[in-house]
Amino acid sequence: MRGRYVLSEAALGLWRNVTMTIAMIITMAVSLAILGASGLMFMQVDKMRDLYYAQVEVRIFLAEDVTEEERAELDAALAADPLVDSYSFQTSEEAYEEFRRLFEEDAPDLVEVTTPERLPESFQVHLTDPEQFAVIDQRYGSAPGVDEVVDQAGLVEQIFSILNAAQTMALLTAAIMAAAALMLVGNVIQVAAYSKRREVAVMKLVGAPNWFIQTPFVLEAVVAGLLGALVAFAALVAGKAFLLDGPLEPLTVLLTPVPWRNVLLTLPALAAIGAVVSAITGWITLRFYLKK
Amino acid sequence: MTKTYPKAARPSLDDVDVAIDKGEFVFFIGPSGSGKSTIIKLLLREITPTRGRVVVNNRDVGSMRSWRIPTFRRSIGCVFQDFRLLPNRTAYENVAFALEVIGRSQSVARRVVPEVLELVGLGGKEHRYPHELSGGEQQRVAVARAFVNRPLVLLADEPTGNLDPDTSIEIMRLLDRINRTGTTVVMVTHDSNIVNQMRRRVIEIESGRVVRDQPRGVYG
Repeated sequence: MRGRYVLSEAALGLWRNVTMTIAMIITMAVSLAILGASGLMFMQVDKMRDLYYAQVEVRIFLAEDVTEEERAELDAALAADPLVDSYSFQTSEEAYEEFRRLFEEDAPDLVEVTTPERLPESFQVHLTDPEQFAVIDQRYGSAPGVDEVVDQAGLVEQIFSILNAAQTMALLTAAIMAAAALMLVGNVIQVAAYSKRREVAVMKLVGAPNWFIQTPFVLEAVVAGLLGALVAFAALVAGKAFLLDGPLEPLTVLLTPVPWRNVLLTLPALAAIGAVVSAITGWITLRFYLKK
Repeated sequence: MTKTYPKAARPSLDDVDVAIDKGEFVFFIGPSGSGKSTIIKLLLREITPTRGRVVVNNRDVGSMRSWRIPTFRRSIGCVFQDFRLLPNRTAYENVAFALEVIGRSQSVARRVVPEVLELVGLGGKEHRYPHELSGGEQQRVAVARAFVNRPLVLLADEPTGNLDPDTSIEIMRLLDRINRTGTTVVMVTHDSNIVNQMRRRVIEIESGRVVRDQPRGVYG
């Protein structure tokens, strides 16, 4: 009986103040959706890092006037180097083939004026640890017959620093939205407590237990938090279904695809965060508001 | 016992030492601002004494842990000048509310509430809303609500303050009847008529001090 009272009071409280309730749910949902999205991104970043570094290589371009001995010496040095995982040699012809494959469609003129001789020979080196580029550069950069050592990891790092910045921005936005959402929660609880001040006064007077007085209010906050989480989850599912698997599909070349399992995993996480944070906010508000 | 409110120049109650026996009927009288209402607040544990002790039913109320307060208040009934009824509930529902929120079942309420409404003389008006009742009838509902848990003590803070003299006397008869069931009644008032008619113990307070404590007293 008392359980039913608590539930109906909570529902009534949310309904009585319905515009504020909706505002609270929307801000909560936006905040949780951004949080969920950056959570998903966070899960991807590690995977992307592994994937990228597996493909990343260091190129040692040889000078045009490199001699047979110099090339053989480099070959031997690379073969013996513990930092080198694997390496291959690319002749000028092979470099030209690759060049043609890459630019034939977009820049046929460029391909026309380029001859194989103009493209340098190179060693393509996979490092055991991609972070060790500096050592490789030092070791081979000034070796005889070497023109230049180029590290693709530098490019990768740029991509990651962009991703990191985007993520920080997202988290900051989520935090600001969360602050707004929690202020709305506090406000909704205050309005609810005010509109029920007579009941609360009588309940205190006749000795109703504190949990009984407070639970309907806290429950209001929790329900709003859960609804916000549900809306946020729906937004993430829609984003995955209609954006990532839709028009943004080609992006998977650059970003690893987000698996459905991770998207579904955000529901319990967001629901728990939404409910617990709202409950704590509601409870703290009550402590200030229902004192005595 | 002394109670000083923060920022107050002098104590609201200064070194008041009063003992009230079980089953007594006591008036606290005195002019406005003399500290009468502070006594009710102390007895309800809405506030705690600055110095000294407040003991109700052998319990030191001042040092009571806050989570014990709800249980403590169930042993005390309270009536106010402004009735404090819930406007959107009928007489029956107002009384039943007091039972429900402390966990009594509806079947208990169905048995006890009509009984107590009959006792206060509201038989037949159970389903009226407060705005459909006269001031005296509203106060009867409030008394019924205060008494429905059979408290050991009934506190009344100017219960006749909003009522005309005839109605006031009816309410006093009701409180007297409740007192005869063994309930201690502590009433704060400045209604001299009533005090003179009842001839019960009178404790007069002035500027926070007890200036008179007289069995079967009159209003100064």
